[in-house]
Amino acid sequence: MADTLATDARTADSPLLEESYEFLGDGDIPCSRYTSSTFARQEFERLWARCWQWACREEHLPDAGDNYVYDIGPYSVIVVRSDEDTIEAFINSCTHRGTRILGGEGTGYTTQFTCPFHGWSWSLDGALLELPGRWDFPHVCEESHKLQPVACERWGGFVFINLDPDARPLGEYLDVLPAHFNHFPLEQRRIRAHVQKVLPANWKAAQEAFMEAYHNFETHDAPNGANAQYDVFGKYVSRFIHTIGNYSPESLSDYPGDKWRAPPLTENEMLQILSVFGLDHEDVPEGETARAIAARDLRVRLGKSWGVDLSQASDSLMLDSIEYHLFPNMFFFPGITVPMVYRFRPNGEDVDSSLFDILILEPLPEGARHPEPPEPVHLTAEQSYTEAEVLSWLAPVYDEDTGNLALQQQGLKSSRKPGITLGNYQEVRIRRVHLTMDEFMAGDE
Amino acid sequence: MSDSTSVRVASLRQLTPGKTLCVDVDDREVLLCHTPEGIFAIDNLCTHSAARLCEGKLKGVRVFCPLHGAAFDVRDGAALTRPAVRPLASHRVTVDGDDISVTLTPQVVAGG
Repeated sequence: MADTLATDARTADSPLLEESYEFLGDGDIPCSRYTSSTFARQEFERLWARCWQWACREEHLPDAGDNYVYDIGPYSVIVVRSDEDTIEAFINSCTHRGTRILGGEGTGYTTQFTCPFHGWSWSLDGALLELPGRWDFPHVCEESHKLQPVACERWGGFVFINLDPDARPLGEYLDVLPAHFNHFPLEQRRIRAHVQKVLPANWKAAQEAFMEAYHNFETHDAPNGANAQYDVFGKYVSRFIHTIGNYSPESLSDYPGDKWRAPPLTENEMLQILSVFGLDHEDVPEGETARAIAARDLRVRLGKSWGVDLSQASDSLMLDSIEYHLFPNMFFFPGITVPMVYRFRPNGEDVDSSLFDILILEPLPEGARHPEPPEPVHLTAEQSYTEAEVLSWLAPVYDEDTGNLALQQQGLKSSRKPGITLGNYQEVRIRRVHLTMDEFMAGDE
Repeated sequence: MSDSTSVRVASLRQLTPGKTLCVDVDDREVLLCHTPEGIFAIDNLCTHSAARLCEGKLKGVRVFCPLHGAAFDVRDGAALTRPAVRPLASHRVTVDGDDISVTLTPQVVAGG
């Protein structure tokens, strides 16, 4: 894997050449973490109420008064641009009798916040404005009944919130992300598509289906599942780099059957697999590789279509599935052709289902203003990703990725074996999340 | 029978995509909304406390009241979030070249 990146026609950016794996243990992870309502309740109290999580993109809030409601389990937060330079967050709850102030999740706009029950209102910075029947509330003061603030910081064009009143700064939590993404600025991208789907499994089982490429052979019937590098950069950040457009038949030596192995794929056959990206070449010229040709075609085609200069982008950045994970539930892809952001979270308070947000983040020309983000496409658990046309070639892949989840959630409940078993290398990122979660659940974080 | 008559109210050039424009039709304030799905017309006054929606904001196919943040679907006037619960009247729009015309929906008598 590392050899591929080091010998590409256009060598990978320095963060992609780093390797950072360590053995983190091989004990089983209890199945009850995925199935127990008691554990899920504890997660709301000890994890979701205390960790950083992105709520929206800055482009959702271009003007003062723009707001975004973000729901996580039993909690709801209002994120608002209170003036041109300030984005703040508040608990979405009236300080009178607790009523939720703004309705469903997503974008909104208002010049002030008003509770729909008795009409108490607050300015965009949370200060108490109007209190109808003021004479009856001599015990209420502006300070005691302002909107309840929530920690709010920005990185990479994302707005993060943390419900913990004593939250440590976001910067301490991002580990290597700022240094690595200096090479791949996500703030210089716009939301091309947003798809949100209900998945029929616990949020951890759902996200773990996206944390390894080990499943590629069986789930996707694809040749390059073992062709990935796994890195752990600290308690909160991990990564895989899954190279696209090449593979090693040797890595499949103990896989069942001869498919993909004997005979090995030729460079032309590899290019055929890459043609889903839309390439100009149909054949690989003598002395070239499918990977180099595909990257070259895509630099030209995508750069032209977006008005962005991709001439310096490495082969790896152009093609590979490069996936950074930020604890507990966020994924950022710096890639150009594989440019996603994922977020997994509980679906309300249901332990058996989750919400999966996919954003496609497209590079923006230098100096261009972010256009208005598209409304999310909502899919139920029963719907196919192919109903979201914006996902194009990715849709059937997501159907395959999520097609095992109902089976896994059901199987976790009927298993007599008390825990799931993880591979030491290919599934190390999953273990890292559980280790950090242990600290949150013990109250050490 | 002015209620069923199509009236030219604005030119397409006046209505930027993603923006709204308030026009008077037969002494009634009507909000034109230029959305990604086309141009729609609804009453301009919020059904909750009569704030002028032209001072709010259009996002996609929803318009937000500036006063309390209530959302309406501009395609049919449906009230989407509290504190608004009653829908806005929605009016038929036709675009002919550069001309935007509106056919008013008859006004509902309060309490009727």
